[in-house]
Amino acid sequence: MASRLISINSFAQTVTKMSCLRSPYRLAASASQRNFCCLAVGIAVLLSGCGQGPKAEFSLRDATGELIPAAEKVVKKTLDEKFGTPQNLVAWQRFPVNYGGVQGSVADVAKDGVTTHFEGDLPAIHHGAPLLWLSGPRAGAKTSVDSVATFDATTKQLKWAGSAEPAPAVGDKFVIGYGSNLQTGRVVYMKNCMHCHGVAGDGAGPTAQYLNPLPRDYRLGLFKFTSTLTPEKPTRDDLTRVLQHGIPGTYMPSFRWLGDKETTAVVEYVRWLSMRGEFEKRIDDDMSNDYSAVAMEASAKKANEAYQTTIKTAKKEDKPEKPKTANQLIKTALEEFSKYEKDDLPGVINDTATLLAESWKKGEEADSLIVPTVARVADNEASRERGKRLYLSDKGKCYTCHGVQGRGDGVATEDFWKKPGSDEYYSHRGLHDTWGRPLQPRNLTLGQYRGGRRPVDVFRRIYAGIKGTPMPGFGRTALKDEEIWDIVNYVMSLQFQSAPTKSIVTDHATVSK
Amino acid sequence: MGRFWAVFFVASAVIAVGLCWVAPSYGLWFPGTLKGGFGAGVAHSSIGKKIDDLFYLVLVIVAVTYIGTHAVLGYVLWRGATIKPEEKVLFSHGSHSLEVIWTIVPAGILLYIALYQMDVWAAYRFKEFSPKKAEAVAEVTARQFEWRIRYPARGKTLMPTPQPDDVYTVNELHVPTGRPVSISLKTEDVQHAFFVPELRIKQDAVPGLTIPVWFDVDEPRQYEMVCAELCGWGHYKMKARLIAVSDEDFGAWKDKAALEQFDDGFKKPAE
Repeated sequence: MASRLISINSFAQTVTKMSCLRSPYRLAASASQRNFCCLAVGIAVLLSGCGQGPKAEFSLRDATGELIPAAEKVVKKTLDEKFGTPQNLVAWQRFPVNYGGVQGSVADVAKDGVTTHFEGDLPAIHHGAPLLWLSGPRAGAKTSVDSVATFDATTKQLKWAGSAEPAPAVGDKFVIGYGSNLQTGRVVYMKNCMHCHGVAGDGAGPTAQYLNPLPRDYRLGLFKFTSTLTPEKPTRDDLTRVLQHGIPGTYMPSFRWLGDKETTAVVEYVRWLSMRGEFEKRIDDDMSNDYSAVAMEASAKKANEAYQTTIKTAKKEDKPEKPKTANQLIKTALEEFSKYEKDDLPGVINDTATLLAESWKKGEEADSLIVPTVARVADNEASRERGKRLYLSDKGKCYTCHGVQGRGDGVATEDFWKKPGSDEYYSHRGLHDTWGRPLQPRNLTLGQYRGGRRPVDVFRRIYAGIKGTPMPGFGRTALKDEEIWDIVNYVMSLQFQSAPTKSIVTDHATVSK
Repeated sequence: MGRFWAVFFVASAVIAVGLCWVAPSYGLWFPGTLKGGFGAGVAHSSIGKKIDDLFYLVLVIVAVTYIGTHAVLGYVLWRGATIKPEEKVLFSHGSHSLEVIWTIVPAGILLYIALYQMDVWAAYRFKEFSPKKAEAVAEVTARQFEWRIRYPARGKTLMPTPQPDDVYTVNELHVPTGRPVSISLKTEDVQHAFFVPELRIKQDAVPGLTIPVWFDVDEPRQYEMVCAELCGWGHYKMKARLIAVSDEDFGAWKDKAALEQFDDGFKKPAE
């Protein structure tokens, strides 16, 4: 399928910020006008502080800013072209996002329009709604986006503005109101989510700095609480569930009453933002080896330091060559970059889009979903005891992070850990997530279930782990489904156990040491 | 200029009274079901109806006072503006008897309201019903910015601490209709207020306290439930619903919710 980009103009649904009336006033000399003047000054004072907020924009990743200027510009240009700006979103058809709209087909071709057929109820179609042809001669052509001129609900006659040629054929499929989900999603997102999750879904909205734990940064394409296997993306149902139930123990509240249309739309918008963010990340990753200005500066500095130490000790005749400065390195990189941009970049963009589209599609497939192969093992004393033994065994090793008592204070929280893929240590003790933030293993005695309190939710957490965190998946490898159920039974009973006796506390202290 | 102010004050009073008069027909009055699509909304709880009666009493007193004082104000301003130079002016400033009258009359009215309203307050707090005697249906915990609700399992009583078979919902409070029920109101963080406008029930949730709130709902349907205490920047997000259903439906709902909550995700393979 050809890569097609559909620009979704913001019709009436532009993102509006608080805008207030600003009445100009002038100081009048006459006494009778003074009262009105005072009133005007009063209003002006009351309204000061209102006004248009800063224009919403998709911020770039830090890694993009570290690239050489030419590369940064190309990344920005690519993102603008494929995803647009918050004011003018672009629906990239490569991605499995339900951009919205009503699908129909041509039943009959008339002289100046077509008779249409819609599955199910007839949707409300308004003048000016974008009309996208999915198949037939009009599809794929430059004229593939038309706008509805008239639609007769009784005769189902559809006419569109613009060229009549090429004429569609009977059976051609089209979508009316394409992109409506993205538009509605944007409005809902800007109203409810942006404050914490940021315009670009970077988890750095204005409120984010006051929150602990921090809001999710969608741009890694990772979501913690899913029903899918370890490497898979979340399903739409997972995101909807989080949206409707909130995440207790964090600042994510429930948006139970958003309305079905808004919920569907904002879920699609968040998926789209996540794809956009991960797309940018993957392009950055590809470029950062060769075209990162920051990396070049660091390596030039390092080479220079090494050079400075060698010339002090080396003899005059075998003096090493002076290393290139950062500017020289960047200059060479700039020259190479135009070649990369022409030869390699289109392929990189294409491959990245394919990879992302495939992975999000795969997440929705039935075999990505974790379904227990056995029903929950009866929740009794024996099962909990088995669960407890597994919890404390080398097979489960749950206690290393969650603690012997399940209080989230295992020995792993006392250690210093290495950053992934490097020899450097984190500056703080304890575990960290993929976003590089300190992470507390869950205190299991509180009865607080972030990913849901259904037994199947807890089962899935143990089976596939929690994405983006050190919590590993135990399903299929270390533990059998029955064993996972035993652990579920044990873990879910922890909340209701009486306070630990003194002897156990002492015991625990010894284990920690 | 004097005539202008006389007209201005009378006109503004006339407009205010007029707007109040037509407001009910536009649904801009009390929240609740309108009788025959017209008039003020009717409260859907027994205590709410008493609170409405109290409000109407105060409204009548205030309306009479407002109209009366504005009529006098208009007359005085108009007379003062149109008085002829040769006419004799009456000065009432410093009149002892007038001052005694307008001190005693409002004081009497205020005292009357203060004593009269005590009965409604007592009915809500202890006289008619002690919240501790009503069946506790749920524990409602407010937090920034949502309502988390815990119910006892069907046939059990609500315990102060969570039980293994408790049922949970978020942002929807299910209650049975037709009999007094109570909730235990808590907050996890700052001060919030539980408010169901159509029931006229409002109670602050105070950190560290568990406050029992009783009410009865007369009609099975959904009611808006909001936070009535500015609790932070996301205050507006605390939109929830009170879902009132008949006793049988309440039991059925709880069974269904429990089934969903204890879902183990296992599907019997087709044979």
